[in-house]
Amino acid sequence: MMDRSSLLKGIRDAAGLAPALFAFGVLFGVLAVDRGMSPWLAVASSAIILSGAAQFALVGLLPAGTGAVLVAVTGLALRHVPMSAALARLLPADLSRVRRLALAYVLVDETFGLTVVAARRSQVVVADYKTGADVMLVVNWLAGTAVGAGLGSMVDPTRFGLGELFPLLFLGLAAPLVRGRRAWVTAGLAVVGALVAVQVLPPAWQVTAAAVVAAGVGSRFHD
Amino acid sequence: MTDMALVVAVGIVTFASRVSYLWRPRRTTHPQPFLDLFPLALFVSLATVGLATPDGAFRVGPGLAAAVGGVVGAVVGRRSIIWVLAFGSAAFYLARLL
Repeated sequence: MMDRSSLLKGIRDAAGLAPALFAFGVLFGVLAVDRGMSPWLAVASSAIILSGAAQFALVGLLPAGTGAVLVAVTGLALRHVPMSAALARLLPADLSRVRRLALAYVLVDETFGLTVVAARRSQVVVADYKTGADVMLVVNWLAGTAVGAGLGSMVDPTRFGLGELFPLLFLGLAAPLVRGRRAWVTAGLAVVGALVAVQVLPPAWQVTAAAVVAAGVGSRFHD
Repeated sequence: MTDMALVVAVGIVTFASRVSYLWRPRRTTHPQPFLDLFPLALFVSLATVGLATPDGAFRVGPGLAAAVGGVVGAVVGRRSIIWVLAFGSAAFYLARLL
């Protein structure tokens, strides 16, 4: 039995991010069709992969071949391993296998961030809260992709600068987590680590490497 | 490999990493402080990489203005996501106008 208030809270909180998620989906749909994907395959990829970063890497690296795509996607996907461990710690041991698989299927940066913040701040049933946020994310991501793939080159979503706003979304997800000296140190290390990573690592590995090093070093400090 | 097969392969790689600790309840081998800090490190890294140039500097423009506005929003709104987005978006479109 789901906790209705947690489910609705998840939907409500994710609704604040919905315009950005929809717009990002439109951007992906337009780009995918522009790079030669059929509209239905663009939408299918959003349903099957459900990862903006991996999907942009896929369409961007299609001309470079299968190997390049899979190496890049593996680098991007590795960040999900500690995310998966962090989420698993918040879930009850008796949660059903089906629910676990469903939560894993939508283990996406945005709803993961909302869930971690909600779990620390308020009394929510974590699995139900994340399910609500996930529903909002999936609906907007798929709808955005379908609209973008349908419109194709008729629209230029970059005109509104929406792609440039995505770092802001991640800052918003980070903000509630910055509490205590250790968190400040970790945030600083992540900035420095990312600025170094963009110079020395391929794009697909930059975020994962910077985040793992920052969290690893930061965890050695005391609050 | 067809495009559809590649999409499925990417989906499998992505899902495999996501399900690694969720497949069944088990104790994680990652230390707890690391897991507490990883989400913060991840989001700050994602934001920084999005704002950085290949030579490791911040790209000056509306995106950076949005980030600065977002930080101001975080201070004013006591780390609220909505305040970060509101201040950051306002700064972004203001910077585009100027």
